[in-house]
Amino acid sequence: MAVEALKLIKEGEERGRRLKEEATVKAAKILEDAEAEVRLVKEKALEDEKKLAAQILEKYRKEGEQAEAEIMKNAAAEAEKRKSLAESNRDSAVSVVLEKTLGLR
Amino acid sequence: MGAEEIVRKIKEEAEAECEKIISDAEANRRKRLAEARAEAEEQKKSFVAASEQKAREEKEGVVRAARLNARKVRWDAEEKIIAEVLEEAAKALKEVKKNGFKGRSYSEILAGLIKDAAVSVVAAGAGSSSELEVRLSEEDASFVTPEMLKELSAEVERSTRGGVKVRLSVSGERIKSEGGVVVSGRGGKVEVNNTFEQRMARLSSGLREEIVKSLFAEK
Repeated sequence: MAVEALKLIKEGEERGRRLKEEATVKAAKILEDAEAEVRLVKEKALEDEKKLAAQILEKYRKEGEQAEAEIMKNAAAEAEKRKSLAESNRDSAVSVVLEKTLGLR
Repeated sequence: MGAEEIVRKIKEEAEAECEKIISDAEANRRKRLAEARAEAEEQKKSFVAASEQKAREEKEGVVRAARLNARKVRWDAEEKIIAEVLEEAAKALKEVKKNGFKGRSYSEILAGLIKDAAVSVVAAGAGSSSELEVRLSEEDASFVTPEMLKELSAEVERSTRGGVKVRLSVSGERIKSEGGVVVSGRGGKVEVNNTFEQRMARLSSGLREEIVKSLFAEK
């Protein structure tokens, strides 16, 4: 009877040990999967950063281009305006040069 | 306690321990992922900030270059017009010999240039008397008469309040010039070059300013 009981207890202990072993393996798998997930998170973050950086660069590039175009457009318009203003004042400017050169001013 | 009871207890303990191992692993998994996500988020933030800074600097560089370029466009346009004005004025100077300018004959204009130069030469070092030579181009020599020089000598004398006796005479030496005169003391120590070319060169910076003022004055 005592032998039978001991056998039962030993088997119970053996089952318990196996259960713990299985749980440890399962836990290790969970942690291994977690590391894989972490790698994925990092990869995804890196990808997102690259995309974001490209978007940011593109946004500022466009803004820069627009500002550049605007500045050059304004400069051309101003140059044109000054050119036409100068055209209408050309005679008086020539007159100023002559007056100065001839010592009349 | 019977054997069955012991076995049940062992089983319960083993199951509880298994549950703890798994729940610890899950908690670790969650913690590790949360940390990784937070770290990634933090990294993303600083990366975005650095990217923004870099992109903003690049944009500012483009804008700065554009502003410089725009200034150059305006400057070039202005310089072109100024050059045209000077060219036109140089052409007009030739007409002045034929038609005079603003009601003055070319002789009167030359007289003014001679007087101006003579006053400067006298002021620069004459003693009580000044013999001054007027050098002209072959073409301009015909515009100056001895009477004119006599009158101018008197005018220059008056400008010195009679302190210096002045005598202007035309030199036999001719100069190569579009117009104007060179006046020098005898011996040529002091000389004032009032030819058009020299006057334009001498006045160039001030002239440019005056041209710009005239050209771009809003009426």
